[in-house]
Amino acid sequence: MAVDVFSVPVFLVVFREALETVIIVSVLLAFLKQTLDGPNRDPVVYKKLVRQVWLGTALGFLLCLIIGGALIGVFYTLGANRWEASELDYEGAFCLIASVIITIVGFTLLRIGKMQEKWRVKLAASMEAPVRTDHPGAGKAVKRFFEKYAMFVLPFITVLREGIEAIVFVAGVTFSAPATAVPLPVVVGLLVGAIVGYILYKSGSSTRLQIFLVISTCLLYLVAAGLFSRAVWSFEQQKWSKLLGGDVTETGSGAGSYDVDNTVWHVDCCSPYVNGGNGWGFFNAILGWTNSATYGSVISYNLYWLFVISALFVMRFREVKGRWPLMKAKPAEIDVEEEVQSGGSSVKLGAESKAVDVEKTVPI
Amino acid sequence: MASSLVLLLGSIAVLASAATVTYDFNIEWVTANPDGMADRPVIGINGQWPLPIIEANVGDQIIVNAHNSLGDQQTSLHFHGLYMNGSTHMDGPTQVTQCPILPGSSFKYNFTVKQPGTYWYHSHTKGQYPDGLRAPLIIHDPESPFRDMYDEERILTVSDWYHDQMPGLIDFFISKANPTGAEPVPKSALFNETQNLTIPVEPGKTYLFRMVNIGAFAGQYIWFEGHNMTILEVDGVYTHPAEASMIYLSAAQRCSFLVTTRNETNENFAFMASMDTTLFDQLPEDLNYNVTGWLVYDAEKPMPEPAVLYEDFEPFDDMALVPWDNLTLLSEPDQVVQLDVIMDNLGDGANYAFFNNITYVSPKVPTLYTVLSSGDLASNPAIYGEYTHPFVLEKDQIVEIVVNNLDSGRHPFHLHGRAFQAVWRSEEEAGTFADSNVTSASFPEIPMRRDTLVLYPEGNIVLRFKADNPGVWLFHCHLEWHMQSGLAATFVEAPMEIQKTLTIPEDHYAACAAGQVPTVGNAAANLVDWLDLSAQNAPPDPLPKGFTTRGIVALVFSCLSGMLGVATIAWYGFAEAVSGGTPTPGTVAGVAAAAAAGTDGRDDASPAEVASAGKANDVVTSSGTRGGGGGDLR
Repeated sequence: MAVDVFSVPVFLVVFREALETVIIVSVLLAFLKQTLDGPNRDPVVYKKLVRQVWLGTALGFLLCLIIGGALIGVFYTLGANRWEASELDYEGAFCLIASVIITIVGFTLLRIGKMQEKWRVKLAASMEAPVRTDHPGAGKAVKRFFEKYAMFVLPFITVLREGIEAIVFVAGVTFSAPATAVPLPVVVGLLVGAIVGYILYKSGSSTRLQIFLVISTCLLYLVAAGLFSRAVWSFEQQKWSKLLGGDVTETGSGAGSYDVDNTVWHVDCCSPYVNGGNGWGFFNAILGWTNSATYGSVISYNLYWLFVISALFVMRFREVKGRWPLMKAKPAEIDVEEEVQSGGSSVKLGAESKAVDVEKTVPI
Repeated sequence: MASSLVLLLGSIAVLASAATVTYDFNIEWVTANPDGMADRPVIGINGQWPLPIIEANVGDQIIVNAHNSLGDQQTSLHFHGLYMNGSTHMDGPTQVTQCPILPGSSFKYNFTVKQPGTYWYHSHTKGQYPDGLRAPLIIHDPESPFRDMYDEERILTVSDWYHDQMPGLIDFFISKANPTGAEPVPKSALFNETQNLTIPVEPGKTYLFRMVNIGAFAGQYIWFEGHNMTILEVDGVYTHPAEASMIYLSAAQRCSFLVTTRNETNENFAFMASMDTTLFDQLPEDLNYNVTGWLVYDAEKPMPEPAVLYEDFEPFDDMALVPWDNLTLLSEPDQVVQLDVIMDNLGDGANYAFFNNITYVSPKVPTLYTVLSSGDLASNPAIYGEYTHPFVLEKDQIVEIVVNNLDSGRHPFHLHGRAFQAVWRSEEEAGTFADSNVTSASFPEIPMRRDTLVLYPEGNIVLRFKADNPGVWLFHCHLEWHMQSGLAATFVEAPMEIQKTLTIPEDHYAACAAGQVPTVGNAAANLVDWLDLSAQNAPPDPLPKGFTTRGIVALVFSCLSGMLGVATIAWYGFAEAVSGGTPTPGTVAGVAAAAAAGTDGRDDASPAEVASAGKANDVVTSSGTRGGGGGDLR
């Protein structure tokens, strides 16, 4: 089936991380070009630094591939047999994890257009950092190294960080898809991410990129809503399977493959799971289609959107008003600001944990 | 209790003059453990289980005074295979020819038997008989053409056995939790309601075995090691003797055969019954589907272990039998009834059995009482309700029943009130009769007759009979599970004749009154408008085939919320991009600074220089963040 070789969530996650990496590299290269390839050019240093950037990127990428491959390999060899007994329970759990991850990642994808600016800022900050450490005593050699190879270290660390992040996300997302569905979307995600990044680098126009990003985010949330609904559906189907004392697949998509008392609609065709899905699997992956909808799957699908819509409104409210809804504007903004200065990643983590908290309150 | 006189008569078989044989049956729960695996409540009679065997001679009047002491279940008795000529009201199926006998009530069965042979009696209420209410009924024939061929008679039952009671098993069987309609698999097989049965025999003698499958579900292959069988009777119909090494008896079938013992007594011989496991949805590993008994020549000698057969059972083909009376094939039919067997699920998710898309549901008024109360309308099948699947037969019509099995299982079909001519039976997977291009020319000149015939998977059978026995007769699958899931139809034979000749005894109506079952009216108990059946008992609605209103509303709603969500994401995404000037994160300011730093710093290549530009930039960022307050650097 379509989703057997191409897991849409995996593609989207890889794409996002690839895009982020490409943006960083492109910012670095643009930076070098602007500073060293101008009228007062120093071709030797420029070439050397460019080489450092690419070397750092390549090494970081290689390391990621190794770590990621090993991790996912271990996951699958360990998991394959152990999960079969209550397969649907696991499937549900993984769909839920994937849905939560995408929900969190998705918000940030909308902001990826701003990455370029963010990274220019970051780059500048990290260039400044070694100078600040004036007399660290023992750290002199380290300081030298960083000064000399900043153009290597920065992309290396960045690629490694984004890469490992991608691996963790992909690992979380892939369990909702068979192992065969992972490699292709990873490759395609990397390619598309690189291409889009390149276009971004070349054009410098963020409006066209923004359209692209909004569309892909919408797609991502459609997938996440479907996954969330499918998670609930899987839990229910597992219960049904247990009641039947075994194999629901015996009944295909016909009578007996579903609980009549818990069914909102059922059509004896178009199952995304029977006979390889016949393309309905694709609808299932993108839009969460099922030929046998339950009360749980329908309600959870709608609740998911309700949550996403309210979350976006709340976030927008905060962006515009500078405070959460139903809260008074506090003078304590300095705390947040300090956090910002200490590094982008901690802010992101904070935002994620908040999102997770809200997610938990959604009745399932 | 069986009259001792009759038992005496049975074994000696001399007197031919009619007698009255009376049995007083107190039907009550007892505990039994026939397979040594589990004690369980079983339905006994007069505190006994296995049940007493009813025995009488041809021409005798049998009276069974049944009293229901079960306390928690209704009951009724059907005398399987007896034609009940002139006494259709004594046939026994509840809501067909009588009302159920309620706990605490009594009911008198009173009929005269004019046919010899091997029969059995069992409950015909709510799939009850596998809980124990089942036993042979033997009509001895002093005039038997075979009376000189054997020395002694032995009655042998074979059956399957469950450890759980039928009401619970049926509730599971017909439930959404069993959508494939998998019939509960028996826990063991029994001979004479026990295991390891020993039958002492003497050498050099011939025994007539009257064998009955009183089981609920499993057909049985039966063979005797070291001995052949000579078949003389099936289902009460004498046949020309036929040699067999193995026979197959479906649930409810009977067979009488001769076994001649050896002249030596130096060893004992096992006889086996092996359940037809092709009927089972799955074969539990701990199931012993065989049961063994022994012909004991010498009780001192060991009982040999039988050789177990796993496949390649080759039982005698009952279609090859020829009735002793050489009754020839009935003429071309006046009425043909075609019934297609289907299994499907209804709206409650459970699996049901259908004849031509109709699954049997009991009427509110027993069908016989509708016949008796409907006057001239009795010949209109509509009044008997759609779900009793009625066919009205005219007196002395030749009727042909064609049953096409569209299901993949074997089904033993039983017709009440007669033995039919089995004029055709196809092989497995032969398809429908109509498609197989078989004509009456292929039918045997002297067809085998019996009252229960096995229909093979995806095959067909053709039966013929003459409608010369007025009454209300069920035609149904004798797998008790399928009887419960509706594989039954009703023949209303010569209803005007029934009205003219039949009077229902008061105690039969009293049983109805006790259970508040109406005794007049159509199947819906409507006696004002006999063709109005809106209140009839009906099966669950069919499963919806596509989207229902509920489904459409849910789908539309889900699509709407999906679209709304997408719209919100777009709004949020673009709002951010457009609102660069509004008090949003300092990144915008920061970018400006960074860009400025980038262009300004072009004259110096050292990273430190760049960094200092970044420092200034950082300050801008901070102030910008303070203004925006979002801290959203991403």
